[in-house]
Amino acid sequence: MALGRFVLKRALQGIVVVWGVVTVVFGLRFITPGNPISVIAPLDASPETRQAIARELGLNDPLYVQYLDYLLGLLQGDMGYSYISNTQASAQVFARLPATLELAVVATIVAVVISIPLGVLSATRRNEPADYGATLFSLAGISTPNFWLGIMLVLVFAVQLEIFKTSGRGPGFVSALSMLVTQGSAAGLLSWLSYITLPALALGTYFTALITRLTRSGMLDELGSAYVKAVRAKGLPETLVRYKHALRNTLVPVITVLGLQLGTLIGGAVITEAVFDWPGLGTLVITSITARDWPILQGSLVVIGVGFVLINIAVDTLYAYVNPQVVYE
Amino acid sequence: MSNGTRETIGRRRYLQAAGAAAFAASLAGCSGGGGSGGDGGGSGGGTTTSGANASAGNETGTGTSIENPQTRGEYLQVANRFSHDQAPWIFLNRQYSVYGVANTVEWEARRDERIDGYAVVPSGGKETVTITQSQMDSGLDPHDHRETPTDNIVLQAYEGLLSRDAQGEIVPELASEYERIEPGRVRFRIREGPTFHSGDPLTPEDVAFSINRIVDDEVGGLVSPQSDQLAGVTGAEVVDGERAVDVTSDGINPIVFSLFASYCDVMQQSWVQSNDGPYINTHMNGTGPFRLANYQEGVQVVYERAPNYWQDPAPAAGLTIRSADESSTRVNQLLGGETDLAVNVPPQDVNRIRDSGSAGISPAPSTRVLFNAMRHDVEPFSSPEFRRAMNLAIDLDSIVENVLSGFADATGQPTLEGFSGFNPQVDPYPQNVGKAEQLVEESGQAGAQLTLHTPVGRYLKDVEIAQAVANQIDQLSNVSCSVEQREFSALAEEITTGKIEDKPPFYLIGWGNATFDASQTIVPLLASNGELTTFSSERLDSLMNEAGSLPGDQESG
Repeated sequence: MALGRFVLKRALQGIVVVWGVVTVVFGLRFITPGNPISVIAPLDASPETRQAIARELGLNDPLYVQYLDYLLGLLQGDMGYSYISNTQASAQVFARLPATLELAVVATIVAVVISIPLGVLSATRRNEPADYGATLFSLAGISTPNFWLGIMLVLVFAVQLEIFKTSGRGPGFVSALSMLVTQGSAAGLLSWLSYITLPALALGTYFTALITRLTRSGMLDELGSAYVKAVRAKGLPETLVRYKHALRNTLVPVITVLGLQLGTLIGGAVITEAVFDWPGLGTLVITSITARDWPILQGSLVVIGVGFVLINIAVDTLYAYVNPQVVYE
Repeated sequence: MSNGTRETIGRRRYLQAAGAAAFAASLAGCSGGGGSGGDGGGSGGGTTTSGANASAGNETGTGTSIENPQTRGEYLQVANRFSHDQAPWIFLNRQYSVYGVANTVEWEARRDERIDGYAVVPSGGKETVTITQSQMDSGLDPHDHRETPTDNIVLQAYEGLLSRDAQGEIVPELASEYERIEPGRVRFRIREGPTFHSGDPLTPEDVAFSINRIVDDEVGGLVSPQSDQLAGVTGAEVVDGERAVDVTSDGINPIVFSLFASYCDVMQQSWVQSNDGPYINTHMNGTGPFRLANYQEGVQVVYERAPNYWQDPAPAAGLTIRSADESSTRVNQLLGGETDLAVNVPPQDVNRIRDSGSAGISPAPSTRVLFNAMRHDVEPFSSPEFRRAMNLAIDLDSIVENVLSGFADATGQPTLEGFSGFNPQVDPYPQNVGKAEQLVEESGQAGAQLTLHTPVGRYLKDVEIAQAVANQIDQLSNVSCSVEQREFSALAEEITTGKIEDKPPFYLIGWGNATFDASQTIVPLLASNGELTTFSSERLDSLMNEAGSLPGDQESG
């Protein structure tokens, strides 16, 4: 069975990739300036105190022992303990993961819902005002740094108009949803929206712009191709030509980019999370870097790496449904 | 030790000191005489006098100049005068803590950077208070951390034996009285009435246990990073048959009450012993006005008013502490009405808050001083003239005004105003480019090329201050200076090795001193055997030794 073998093969490759990520991340700590002791210990701590901290953190062991210990722990789901708060790194990382996933997924949904219709519109009304508007929008979206956009959104919609919250996460989607189901109250959902709308917009704008462009150019290519002429000549209604044939073929590169971008959103929403004080992996990565809290940083990066690999496998698998020409090898 | 013996030693030390001072004065003389006559007048200005110098007698000022230091405070003042004259640092600014406070609460900023939720009074029907810091805690164990953000989170629920008022003066807390009973032994009488949030009453055993948990690695399942916050303290024991605890110290430990006013939260012995580290780091059981309601690590801490608090109940029914790393996010939260108190408002946002109509600014001088350390063992900084020239080269007032928008004080000695040992007669160096250039010539170091290392983003406007300093030094005709930006932990690693030769020759750093005492700045940073020292002088060492052997000024209450 081709699909099963394909997934298995990609999974094995994925494991090698993750191992590579772990190794590189682990190696990084030895070439990064500054060590955790000088962050943990006060400036005037005695050499004895420093030694005691190093012992406690296991920093005195030889490199390969630290590395093997870490790999072994990781296999058992143990990412070690935070240098700073002494709690389990895995607990901290997984506590942050839902917030990041939530933001990434909502930002992606915002992007897809806006960009694909906009791209199609732009392509089918080529060189009309609608096209110019859409192109201008995507140009602006790609050129605007999202931290700046985030700050502007906050200033206008949260500080001035007070429609949305400036920062934080509020109840989270799951508890908002359960409130709706168990108590029949939409208050939780509204509160959730008031927190997530601005960060999702800020994060999704670049993405929206990118996919709008991609959809537009893909659609233009497809609409000019021979098979579209053929189905048109056959007398197929224009709606079917556009959406069943042209758009479907356009979506192949769109899905690739979508997948890759979703991965980036999980790992790369660092700045947006910082601006909105969103309690996700991004802010965790930042704090752990400043504090040289390596177990937390490594744990976050490993989770992000695994996320990337999984999304890539999922994207590759999805290809076949969209484009039967793709063969699993 | 009898009084007589101490006096003899005191006199002998003084004679040594006076000899060193004469030497220092002679060094100072070559510059003071040659420069502008005007700047030596008044309060001593730049370089003309040193504490034990005969000419000091002519000075006008708040007190008479100290020719013959007797008390601990006088020794420290002389040490500060001496440090000013020797200029081991370019003295920069005292940092301010600048808070944004919503109109919905009343609160005054404190000097020790702590935010006591008990002192935040909500108004206009508001019941709860929200505070936004720059960071969250590093765990809730009050004895297992070293940073202000965690202090602020812990102190809502935990209390110490002594505390401080907004000005930094020592006030009693869980101890009703405190006194020194022997040179190395002080006694705290423990208040009746306080109970832990678990419902159990506070006992002297809990107090002794808490102190020992910090100073003794064997007690309480923790090697506490705070052991040097209780520097000199060797242990604590309950006084038989009395509701009191005796604390013993190595030597006289003149600042022992100061230490207990800033540090050592009291925990319940049985609670600590029956729970493990991760539990203690995620739960709270203190005697304070608030108890923990909900803890989300790294996200927020929610407290509720503790019932049966031993003083008046807290004005706020609930308290939430959260964090935002980005200063603009904190300000936006404040202006959006989502928080009542935002820490570390940057100077550029001050007017935005003032103009908003919904919030105001509450500044307070902090306990942190910024300075540029100059290593005394390498050229050109081995020359006191050159070091003084560096101080004369910079326009500190303009840095305070333009870089820090006035939210800073210029300093001219290691110790901050309001601390024990501050010398009110020592003023910051005034800018005098001509004299600076002349001093550089006299030092024989003309043509020196300096590199100022500065951390990035560790202190308010650190890079901007360093650039201003370097620019102004660079303006001198015979010295050039550039800035090298460093990542803080990399710079800290070089500074903290304990060896002077590992340090950069010239670097900007900040020093917080929550004990409000000169010794905790001068000894670690300037004494010959200080952990972080860049300076060495027999005279300064002997002054500090002398001060260390005398009891402190705030000795009982």
